[in-house]
Amino acid sequence: MSLSVRKIVISGILGAIAILLGVTRLGFIPVPTPAGHATIMHIPVILGGILEGPVVGLITGAIFGLFSFLQPGAPFFADPLVSILPRLFIGIISFLVYFSTKKINILVARVFEAPLTNIKNRISPGLTGALEKFNGILPYLLGGAFGSATNTVLVMGMVTWRGYLPAEASISIGVLHGVPELIVAAVLTVILVKGIQRIRTTEDKS
Amino acid sequence: MELTKNITLGVYLPGQSSIHNLDPRTKISAATILIVLLLFARSYEAYGLIALFTAALIFCSGIPSGYVIRGLKPMLPVLVIMWVFQLFLYKTPDTAILFEWWVFEATEAGLHMGNLITLRVLFLFTVTTLLTLTTSVVSLTDGLESLLKPLKMIGLPSQELVMTLVIALRFVLILAEELEKIIKAQMARGVAFDQGNFIQKTKKLFPVFLPLFIGAFKRAEELIVAMEARSYTGGKGRTKMKTLRMSSSDLSAAFVMLAYSGILIYVIISVEPII
Repeated sequence: MSLSVRKIVISGILGAIAILLGVTRLGFIPVPTPAGHATIMHIPVILGGILEGPVVGLITGAIFGLFSFLQPGAPFFADPLVSILPRLFIGIISFLVYFSTKKINILVARVFEAPLTNIKNRISPGLTGALEKFNGILPYLLGGAFGSATNTVLVMGMVTWRGYLPAEASISIGVLHGVPELIVAAVLTVILVKGIQRIRTTEDKS
Repeated sequence: MELTKNITLGVYLPGQSSIHNLDPRTKISAATILIVLLLFARSYEAYGLIALFTAALIFCSGIPSGYVIRGLKPMLPVLVIMWVFQLFLYKTPDTAILFEWWVFEATEAGLHMGNLITLRVLFLFTVTTLLTLTTSVVSLTDGLESLLKPLKMIGLPSQELVMTLVIALRFVLILAEELEKIIKAQMARGVAFDQGNFIQKTKKLFPVFLPLFIGAFKRAEELIVAMEARSYTGGKGRTKMKTLRMSSSDLSAAFVMLAYSGILIYVIISVEPII
């Protein structure tokens, strides 16, 4: 296996953003829960998976995990099984969800072409436009949401399995933090992917 | 808003101390051993020993201890909150209850768990920070590459992975400066980051994140072009201008490390773990 320069650089820089969000505490959004904050440090990993594929997602996840192990934000992260292992899956799951949603989207559009145009003709053009737009961002939205959910579920699962917190506490923390994290991650993923794609297309033209 | 001030990870403080002058391979292996041993330490005696050794390391490195501790500041509130969490939530069936507060019970097992796990975090942080403070990025890369070479046999691109890690470490500071600029620019336009409820605060982060990521991706594209223009092809057929050489001080450092690990392992095995 060898890595292209592109994969090396993008994973490195996304890893840097994950570390940066951690050291500056900017990656923690204050949430009114006992633990006080939700994290968005995993968003670079999600982006890596969606924009550059599972390998970049895996490496960025490893850097993020390694960092949260070596400079832990919460005590139970000082255990590689909690901090590193679950993070390896974030990028991969994001990529898989994004990729399959996109494929299903294309498939649905192709198979149901006739009935879809039929429906489109009946409803107002404004609504069809909005629906198409939503369809366009759906893969990113789901990719971000599932990536975030992977982080929450696997990390809290490992925390419980390793005995740091009882199951009830893990579940309530998971829900209280996981849900806002999921929403923020999904929205941010869409915004960031769209923004990055825009600079990429303008650069290709020039 | 001084973001770069508290970042001690990836910062190198040049010096001529005995630790600075060690071969990077010795330092990386020693740090790895320390971290692994830390994961098995489950008694206060073991942590006492670790504290002594870490203090000795800081002393030998000639780095002002305040500098090492400064990086800890931003994570203190979280550590305190999580310590309280462990105190009230961690339970074993046969543990003594220290005191009760509302519906929560503080248990003895919770207290020990909170203490140990917080100590572990503190020492993990100190050991890794000490490693990066006394080792320049270049020698860190060389050391890691040489240590991870055997991984190539099982097909892992070790040199490329080390390069990725180095880029990440290198860019933390660069991106921190950029982030600071973005935040200041937004504040100059009247954004109050510390006001509002959860949703308002989150919304204010969006105009910070977008320029940060776009800037980062622009830099990435530039770096890709620069590396490709210099025909970077990973580790294949690469030679070094300065090859690493072990010296007699590395040998004595290895001896000290061996002796210390021996004592620590003995303490870890012989002293009854509290949790």
